[in-house]
Parts: sequence; structure tokens; C-alpha cells
Amino acid sequence: MIFLRQGIRMNRNNAKTASLLSRRLVLKGAGAVMGLPWLESLPVWGSDESEKVDSSPIPKRFGVQFMACGVNHEHWWAKGSGASMELGKCLEPMQPLRKKMNVVSGLFNQSAVGVGIHPGQTGNILSGAQLQKGSELRGGISVDQVIANAIGQQTSQPSLVLGCEQPITGYHETNFSMAYSSHISWQNATSPVPMEVYPSLAFDSLFDNRGNRRNQSVLDRVKEHAEALRRQVSADDKAKLDEYLTSVREVEKRIERARDDKKVASDRAAMPSESLVTMNRPDNGLPEDIREHMKLMCDIVAIAFQTDKTRVASLLLCRDISGLLYPFLDVSSAHHGASHNDLNDAYLRITQYYVSQFAYLASKLDSMPEKDGTVLDHSCLMFINNMWSGSKHDSTKVPLILAGCLGGALETGRVLDYGDRSDKDRKLCSLYLSILQRMGIEQTRFGDAENALELL
Amino acid sequence: MFLTARIIVVLLISILNLCCVRGDDSLPLHLANEFKQEVRPLIQAHCAECHDGETREAELDLSLYQSVEDVIRSYRVWETVLHRVAMGEMPPADASSQLSEEQRKVIVDLIARVRKFEAERNAGDPGAVIARRLSNAEFDYSVRDLTGADIHPTKTFPVDPANEAGFDNSGESLTMSPALMAKYLEACRVITDHMMLTPDGIAFAPYPAVTVTDRDKYCVQQIVEFYRRQPIDLADYFYASWTYRHCDLLGSPHATLDEVATQLHLSPKYLRTVWEVLVPQERFGPLAALQELWESMPTPTEPDSNSAKAARAISERMRRYVFSTRKLFSPSIQNLSIKGGSNGSQPMVLWKNKQYMKYRRVADFSFLDIDVLATQVAKSFDVPEESNLAQFKADCQRFCSVFPDAFFISERGRDYLDEKNNEGTVRLLSAGFHSMTGYFRDDQPLYDLMLDQAQQRELDSLWRQLMFVSTTPQRQYQSFLWFEKAESGFMREGKFDFVRSEDRESWTAPMIDRLAEVYLEKAIDAGSDEITLDAVRNFFIEINDQIQWVEQTKVASQPDQLDAVILFASRAYRRPLTATEAQEFRDYYHLLINRDGLSHEEAIQDTILTILMSPQFCYRVDLLCDTDKARPLNDYELASRLSFFLWSSIPDEELLSHAAVGDLHRPERLVQQVQRMLRDDRIRGFATEFTGNWLDFRRFEEHNAVDRNRFESFNDDLRKSMFEEPIRFMVDALKRDCSVLDLLYADRTFVNATLAKHYGIKDLSFVESQWVEVSDAARYGRGGLLPMAVFLTKNSPGLRTSPVKRGHWVVRRLLGERIPAPPPNVPEIPNDESQLGELTLRQTLAKHREHPSCAGCHDRIDSIGLAFEGYGPIGERREVDLGGRQVDTMAIFPDGSSRNGMDELRDYLKEQREAEFVDNVCRKLLSYALGRSLQLSDEVLLEAMRDQGRKDGFRIGTLVTTIVSSPPFLSKRGRGATANDFFEAGDTDE
Repeated sequence: MIFLRQGIRMNRNNAKTASLLSRRLVLKGAGAVMGLPWLESLPVWGSDESEKVDSSPIPKRFGVQFMACGVNHEHWWAKGSGASMELGKCLEPMQPLRKKMNVVSGLFNQSAVGVGIHPGQTGNILSGAQLQKGSELRGGISVDQVIANAIGQQTSQPSLVLGCEQPITGYHETNFSMAYSSHISWQNATSPVPMEVYPSLAFDSLFDNRGNRRNQSVLDRVKEHAEALRRQVSADDKAKLDEYLTSVREVEKRIERARDDKKVASDRAAMPSESLVTMNRPDNGLPEDIREHMKLMCDIVAIAFQTDKTRVASLLLCRDISGLLYPFLDVSSAHHGASHNDLNDAYLRITQYYVSQFAYLASKLDSMPEKDGTVLDHSCLMFINNMWSGSKHDSTKVPLILAGCLGGALETGRVLDYGDRSDKDRKLCSLYLSILQRMGIEQTRFGDAENALELL
Repeated sequence: MFLTARIIVVLLISILNLCCVRGDDSLPLHLANEFKQEVRPLIQAHCAECHDGETREAELDLSLYQSVEDVIRSYRVWETVLHRVAMGEMPPADASSQLSEEQRKVIVDLIARVRKFEAERNAGDPGAVIARRLSNAEFDYSVRDLTGADIHPTKTFPVDPANEAGFDNSGESLTMSPALMAKYLEACRVITDHMMLTPDGIAFAPYPAVTVTDRDKYCVQQIVEFYRRQPIDLADYFYASWTYRHCDLLGSPHATLDEVATQLHLSPKYLRTVWEVLVPQERFGPLAALQELWESMPTPTEPDSNSAKAARAISERMRRYVFSTRKLFSPSIQNLSIKGGSNGSQPMVLWKNKQYMKYRRVADFSFLDIDVLATQVAKSFDVPEESNLAQFKADCQRFCSVFPDAFFISERGRDYLDEKNNEGTVRLLSAGFHSMTGYFRDDQPLYDLMLDQAQQRELDSLWRQLMFVSTTPQRQYQSFLWFEKAESGFMREGKFDFVRSEDRESWTAPMIDRLAEVYLEKAIDAGSDEITLDAVRNFFIEINDQIQWVEQTKVASQPDQLDAVILFASRAYRRPLTATEAQEFRDYYHLLINRDGLSHEEAIQDTILTILMSPQFCYRVDLLCDTDKARPLNDYELASRLSFFLWSSIPDEELLSHAAVGDLHRPERLVQQVQRMLRDDRIRGFATEFTGNWLDFRRFEEHNAVDRNRFESFNDDLRKSMFEEPIRFMVDALKRDCSVLDLLYADRTFVNATLAKHYGIKDLSFVESQWVEVSDAARYGRGGLLPMAVFLTKNSPGLRTSPVKRGHWVVRRLLGERIPAPPPNVPEIPNDESQLGELTLRQTLAKHREHPSCAGCHDRIDSIGLAFEGYGPIGERREVDLGGRQVDTMAIFPDGSSRNGMDELRDYLKEQREAEFVDNVCRKLLSYALGRSLQLSDEVLLEAMRDQGRKDGFRIGTLVTTIVSSPPFLSKRGRGATANDFFEAGDTDE
């Protein structure tokens, strides 16, 4: 099984490079791992401690939580602003975070409307791309991966792509592949990013530094090849092979430096400190209870953000046409079936449950101090659903919440409704473009949008 | 064809050359003295004014050359000196001191003698060829040939620098750096992302095969492509039968059925089957009707096309008849369902698929009872009396057996739904489930009727590959669990809680058995009939078998995959591994698993990574100088040298097998292999890398100097087509062993639809991206390299043409003339010809030439460039320029003649410059072949190339063979020798 993305990134903002990066995973590993918060665990190469703290700007993070098949939209509303904001029942779990969030309504993807229900409304939720029916998958790169391509090389993992439900790849009746229903993060037009479903493996990919070790072993080995060849040959040939050997050694040194940095961080983690973060490695296998599963995945995103292992995460809480069951919510049918009665009380409980996952992650990040604020203050979390109404399969607008002020780049505590605007002024891709720009990524268009979202 | 006589001549030269490798007679004293006493003083007196260490006019400092040894070391510089002085161009007309004819002769004569002496003394010296890394292009091609997937790992690498001959295939320019090494590591890691473990070994997809969707795509595509390759058109078989029946009249009296099939690319096995039912005998039903048609086919009176046409037409009628009639025998199959479940559930859908499969070659006679069909039947065939009914039915069965309702099903919609809900059938190999993952194999008729044993094995192995690589049974089962729980709701009760679709435990054998039991219980309780229950039972048994097969094969195939890696290594190393090397790879693999805790797949990946990163792969280790004295290449080294020369890639199996036998170096084998290699598609590597670098269009696909607003037709497609034209031309010339003179004089070129439009060629039709030869290209002002749009565009600075650049390109690139770089203070000509004011471009240039120091070179360039004025900035033909002025293609050529346009430029080249062109082609070819700059001793070989070439009009194959059979190509220096210190005056590419 293959899931997370991993690779050395050399060249930022370079789509070509991005498409070349190794997508293979690096997994397995240690027991309990301690991570350091970003400030202490991110040494700048060659600089000493004091410089580090002053010179590195606090990183900005972007995280998405996805829920499928709509919400109980009768109770999905918000009015007012800041501390006095009033929230509909669906949004109640967000009550304590009102000042740090925006409820955004009325946005949509043009290419997810009128193409048939479900997969065609989902596989482009983060890209805005037209999806192709039939055997060949074709859509577009998703916003989280655009960010990962731009800033991912600064962290050990360009992005975390997690899910709580395995993908399905058959054909829906609309003749779209079910792969579109199963993946929101897309590496490029034709391939989704492999999604990690096992918490233990997601955890390992962040903390066990396996990729570097593997590369080092390979380099050691080829160095021996070159040395063996070198013994017998002319001076000119020796010089060529020396060039090779020097280059290998130099790359090895870089890897070693990266590993040393990690060791420093680990050593210091052993010392008691107020800001110390710990998380035990989750057990192998899949948690039986979906509540435990989702909580673990949120915890992993939180620790990854805090320790700056990655700055981009997407978490598919359930896929489209989800088969998740909620006995603990006293709902008998599975998620998809339940969504066909989206205005009843059962689906209200389901919606609330999902929003509470978002509240959990946001609060967790908000409890992590960072400089003069919290990790949440330097992040932008987004909760999004592919439909407004599951019974009507309506994607002409989608439910969306943002949390975190992205280091001050994003004003919060607001209710924004774009529902009355013309279609070109309520594009999801405009929102994504705004987020890209506010994360410092210079881009003038994304998906079907050429303008950032007004009023955001 | 190459003649034996030629081979012998070539051989002779080789032997002669070998004899004089590294003669050690030292430089005669008189040459040294003559230089010091006579030539050097002349040079100091007449040349030093401009070419001393201070002024270094044209970057040439002649004061550096104190002795004749210095001259030998920098022989290329002195070649130019010799040329310019002999031609009387130097010292220039306006120089203060002039050489007398006598003095001129002294210089020319001595230098020529020195060169001749030196060349002969070292003839056959392999020269300093350094074992260097593969160029980016070589790396890409090698990875393609090694993995079978065109991955282009070097996409993001920096462009390789070229050596002074303009090629990026020598140790002189190819270096390694830490930054590049890091990119190698990254790129090779990506290559391993393309790797998949298969039941028999390893395979590489053309894209990273990391997600299951990528893997599905690869495996499904392989199967579908296999299907598409099969000749299943029935009309072809009827026509072939007719051909066989009349083979005597059609000119091949003793042809067998199998031979006819092979010739027409049909399945011999199936042709035999079809032939048998056509042999006349009493038949009933559709076979009788078919035989009637068959008998109506004409007897050819002579091998004419009319009877063939008529036979073809009737063959197609027979096909139509079979298609329409065959439908009558198809059964109607109802859905199965279980109360409380869905008829889209897997056991139900699979059961239905199998029912269809059962009837692919079997007749269903229900139509006999249905009135509606009766009329249709009446149109197709007669139903006989009761007494013959048994025979009739038997013949119908035979008909259906020979003509299945489908040979294979490669796309399937959702058959359990009525048609209006069943959108689209482009779901390749799909089982037709509702939303669930699942493939279904339905190709038994193809398998039984058409495929031979090898093909059957191949197809079986492709289906196994799909199951294994993509774990389709597990995924199918997983989605079954999801569907039955969440969608159909059949498994929603608590007794099904012990399985979860997310959980890998669910598909262990006991868990599947347990679920089968519970599921069946519920199906029985729901009152299902026996057929339905059987369908359920079979479903669980089959999926369990498939899953367990995949799981067991995962373990059982591991040794095969490791063996495949060892094989991969020997292909990458271009030779058999030593026993130690093979063992080291195995040890390393086990170390990765045991010490580093890697999984089998990871350990395989990392072992492959070490192969790709090893200098044994990414360096030209065949060039290593590893003996004390110069020595002949061994056969494996020779295989590499040949393949990197002609294919820019690693040797193929055939070359390696000759290396293994040890006969590759033998002249007749060598020539035979060269001929084969020239005809192989991989010769495109040579066409692209050699021609592209020689003629300076290798990077044209990134050419951005065209103003796309002014030239709307110039888009990426046209740019790519322009780039492709000379490559197509070269590939064709190489495969047909044409003369190198065709490059200049040929009346042909190659176009696709885009380029045809650009060239105004209207009377050709194209299928999609097809390229076709234009054999009378002169009609459109094209033919050969000179008027190709790629060169005309490349040598235009945007909104005007550049006679200077175009002329310079001809003179320098094609003819090999060395023109010094212009002085830095030349005034610019506007880049837009509509901004030239009163003067035409031609007048502007003429004004420039009025200055004597400019005239020296521009007289040699501009006129040739002006001959191209009938072509605009993107190579389009034109009458007026962008400023609205009539173009004028008349020019006074360097020989004083007045000539007009492209045709007369060709005349000029033919009359005056052909020898220079040939000489230059030989030099470029040799330099490229040897992977180094040329040295004086190569002059002997160059002369041999010219001599051999002259005998058959300079066929490319002859030039290549002469090189390949020569000592410099067939041997390498010992480690003692150091590279000659080639000291060169500036000869930079623009």
C-alpha cells in the first residue's frame, strides 16, 4: 500500500519539477516520537540558534477538511460578526471559535454543476477543473498541491494527504470514475495524490526520516562502484570519476546535515520544556471506531503543523457516496443514504458531528502557542462539502468555513455571503486564489478564476 | 546494399591504419628549423601587428607559437591560418605590410608539410576519449530502452554544454556537480516510481505508477491494446479465403492457407476455421445463405484489381450478413436478484456476465417461437421442414460457433439496468457494477478461435498482471463490502458487523468464508432460488481464490522479481554481470530488508536506484582507459560504442548477443550490424542529436523569438512540426542509405498537416498526426534542408529576416567555414523590417559591407543569405516583406557570379562548394562518432571517408561504416597517454 508524498524539492514554483517528484512513500518506524514546535525544531542551515529565532518568519499553513453529500442546510447559517456572531445548529460546535473563523456561503464550482451527480461534483472540489468521463481520469491539480509545490520543499513532507475512508474506483452511473468521488487532492490532471488511511503510517511518514536514510544507503553503494572503477584507469578518467565521487559525497553531506538537524531537535526535545509536544505513535491497523480514527488524523495534522513537518494537509473525513456508519449518533443508514433525508434530525446530528471535527482541529491548533499567537493564527483551515443539499444533489453553492487568520493576512470573525452575486463573482477558485496569494505564492490565476475573491 | 568489395576496401584501410598507430619517428629537424628560421620571422613581420598578445584581432595571438611543436598542438588554429593566407585573405588588403607571393608560399608550404607529417605519424590514434557521464539525451534514451517507458528523467536538468565541434557527447564538456548529482538522485527515484512488481518480474509504466488508478490505467491499457492488435474483421477472412481459393490464378500457385493468413496479417488458426465452413457441402440456415454469397465471388481471370475489388465487396456483404444474422441467436437474459438486495450487486452482475459468455459461441433458438422475429429470420435464411430441423439446428450451432457474437468485450456498461439508465460504455474491461471497482474478462472466443499458444500465454499473463499489480480482487471485494453495507443495505444488520471494507483483515480466507456463510443464510431466508444461491456461492469462492492467488503470488514471486533486477542490471551495464557483481546486488537487497527494515518492494526499488545511479550505467565506462598500452575495444565495449553513436542509447539484445558470441568486431558482422542499426527506429536518436546539434536546431522546441501576434499561425504545434521536419528527413535518408548530398539537393521533404498548411501544400490528406513524404517539393519552394522552416525561422530575429544569420548558418554549419566573431562595435539593424526606413534590408547590408573590415567576412555570407529572401521570418514563402517592399533574391556570390534565389543557390553550392560540404559532414560525423574534438591524426581517416564516399556518391552508410571500421573507433588509448593539449582560438557558437 502506498500513500504519502515524499521527495526532495529543489526548485520552487516549478510545475515541471513538481511533476517529477517522487510520490513513493516512506513509511514504518519508531514508537513514541516527540516533536518540537516550529520555532525550536526548524534550524536554518549553518545559522546558530539565536539567529534562527529572529530571522525565520513564522510559516503559514493550509489545511482542508472534507465532508461529502451536503449538510442539513436548514440549520447551516450564521449572522452577525465576531463575538456576537449567531450560529445555526449545524455550526454550534464552532461557538468558541467565532472570533477566529469566517462562515462563507454561496461559493461554487461552475464545472461541478450540470454534469451529473456525485463524482462530477467532487473530484474537482479543490481544483475547479472540468472532469472527464469514462476510462481515462482527467481533471486538474488541486489547490493544496499547488501550495505544496510552492512551499513544500521547505519541510520534510511537502504535504499530508489523509483520509478516513478507502478510495473506490469503479464507475458511477454518470459514467464518471468513482476515483473522483474518492480523492480531493490531485497531483496533476491525471493522478490523485495517494491518500493515507492508516494513522500509524501517516505518523511514521512525518517522523522517521526514512527517505533520507534510504538515499544515503544508495549513495554509499554507488560510491563503492565508482571507487572500484577508479583503481585501474588513466589520469583523465580518474579525474572524471573523482568528479562523480565528490558530487556523491557532497550530496551525502547535505543529507547528513539534514539528519543532524533532526537529531539536535530530538535531543532538545528530551529536555523538559513548556512547549514540548508529544504524541504516541498510533497502533498499527485501522481504528475500529470512526470517532477514534478521525481524532487521530486530526491530531496528526496538528502535530505536523506545529512541528513544521509539513505546511499543507488535506483530510478527507469521508468520501463522496460514503459508506460510513454512525451507530453512536443513533443513525441506522450509512452516510450516503442518510444524506438523502438531509433535512431530518439524523442528518443534523451527522453534520454537527463533522463540524465538531473541524472545531476539534481548530481548537487544538489554537491551544498551541506560537510566538505571540497560536498555530491556528498562522494557519488557514477550511471545512468544505461538495454539496449544499444531499437530497437534491445540489452543488450550486457549497457549505464552507474558514478558521485562522493566516498570520494576519486574513480577517476573521465574519459572515460572508456571496449567494446573491453573479456566477463569476462567487467562484471557489477565486477563494483559492486569494488563499494562495495570502500565503505569499505569486499566482494570478487558479482553476477557472482570474480574480481573487472580493471582500475576503 | 553494401558490396563485399567495399567491405574489403574498408578493411584494408583499417589494417593500414592500424599499422601506423603511434609511429615513434620523431619530428625531423629540418621542419623545426625551417619554422624557426623562415616562417616565424615572416609571421612576426606581417601578422603580429594585429595578431599579437595585445591586439589579439579575431582572438588570435600568433606570438604564442614559438616552435613547430606549438603549431602541431594547435593544428586547428593553423588550419585556419593556412586557409586564410593561402586564399590571400590575410594579411587583409588594408594592412600596412603585405606578403610577397614567394613569402606566402613559404608559409603555406611549410605548414602543410608539418600537418601532413604529423597526421601520418599518428594516424589511427584513438585520441583522448574520456569516460564521461551520459549526456541528458543519452540518459533519457537509455532509460527508455532499459525500462521500455519513455520517462524523460532529465526534463529539469540544466542543458548540457557542447564541445567545440558543437556536440554534447564528449568528456570535454560533460561534467558532474553536486547539484546535478542531487538531480540525478531525484530523477532516478522518480524512475523507480514508475516501477511495478509483476507476477513474473518487474515492469515500468510511462507515468508514475504509485496510485491504484495509475496502475489500473497501465494494466488495463495493455490488455485493451492487445485486443486492438487482433485481426478480427471477418471480411478480411472471407477475402483471404477467396485469395487462397484462387491462389494459382492470383500468381502464387502453391500458397498454403497459413501463408495467406500470415501475408495478410490474419490469424492462421481462424482462417482455417473459416475456410472449413465455406467449403461447399449441403448446409441449412445461415451457413447455406453464407455459402451462396461465397459462391457468388468472382473467379479472377488474370491478376487484375477488378475481381479483387468485387471479392472485397462481397466479403464485406458476408460480414454484414453474419453480423445481422448472428444477433437472432442471442439469448435474452434476465436479472437475478435477492429480496432486500440490489440487482446491481456483484454476485448478480457477475452471474449475468457469465450467461452472456456462455452464449458467445452457442445458438439460442428462442426466436423460433417468437413471431416478431419471424420476419427478420425470413429475410436472413430459410427454416427447413421438420425432417431437417436437427440438421438445421446443428448447422446453426456451427455458424454460431465459428462466428461468435463477440470475440471479446473490452467495454461494458451496466447491463442489469435498462438502456436509458445505462449511460456510456467506455468503461474499459469493466465488470459493469454499480459504482464498485471490478473488471471482468470475457475473451474466450478470441482466445480459442484466434490466438496461438504464445499469444494465449501473453493474454493470460496480462490479466494476471492486472490482478496482481493493481490488486483488483481485493479492491473489488472491498467495494463489495461497502456497497452491500452502505448502498444496497443488504449487509446492514449487526451480524455483518465483523467485516469492514477499510480493514485488510476482511479479505483473509477465513473471513471471506465466514461472510459467505452469513450472506448465504440471509439469501436463503429471503427465499432465493437455487440459481441465485449458486451465483452467491460461486462469487465468494471465486473472489476468495483470486484474492488468495494475489496474496500468495506476492510472496512466491519475490525471487523472480529479484532475478529480474539482476537482469535489469546487466542490461544497464551493457554486459553480463560477474558472479560477484550479481551476488553483491542480491546481498544488498537482503541487507536493505534485514538491516534497514525495508519492504520487498522498497528493497527492489532501492536496488534499481543503485543500478541507475551507478557510474556503470550513467557513465560511458566502455571508454575507460584501463590498460598500459592502447588496445582494441572488446566486443561489449564495441557494442556500447556503436549504440551510443547511432542510437544515443544502450545496445539492444542483438548487439549484446553478438558481443557474447564474440563476433561483433569481425568486419562483416560489424557492417551487417551497422546496416541494421541504420534501419532501426532508434536511429532517430542519431537524427536528432547529431543533426540537431550540427545544424543548431536541437533546442528549437524552446525557440521563443517569434512574435506570435504578428505571426498568428506560429503556435506550439507549428514550432514542433518545424522541429520535426529535418529529423523526419534524416531518419528517412538514414534508413534508405541516401547520399549526404541529398541534404542539399533533394527534391523531397516531409510534412504533417500543420506544416503542409504552412507551406501551402494543399493536395495531400493526412490521418491525424501523420507525416507524409512530399516527393516533388520544388513545386512548393521546398526540398532538402536549405528551405526548411526551422532553419529560416531560427535564423530570423523576429520581425525581419536575417540574410546575415541565414548566410552565416549555411557557410558555417553546412560548409564548415570558420568565420570570426564580429567586432563589438557593429551598429544594430532594427529587428522589425517595417522599421528600416527608406532602405531595404538588402541596401542596409550593402552599406555595411562598404567598410573593408566588414567586407572580409560579409562578402562571404550576405549574398548566400539574400538568396533566402523569398522566405519570411517564419520560413513562409513571400513576395513582399513586412514593410511592403518587393523582395529581391538576386545576389552577387563569393565567386563573382550573379545568382537568383534558392535554386541558383543550390547550383552555386554544387559548382563551387560541394567539396567543402562533404569535408565538413565527414568532420562533424567523425567528431560525433568518436565523442571528441578532432586531432591532426584524424586527417588520414577523413581522407579515407572522402575517398570511400566518392565511390558511391557519399552514401551516409558508407561514411558511417568507414568510421566504424577504423582504428580510432575500434580501439582506445592506454592509461599512460595524456590528452593532447588542444589550444583553440575562439570558435564559439553564437
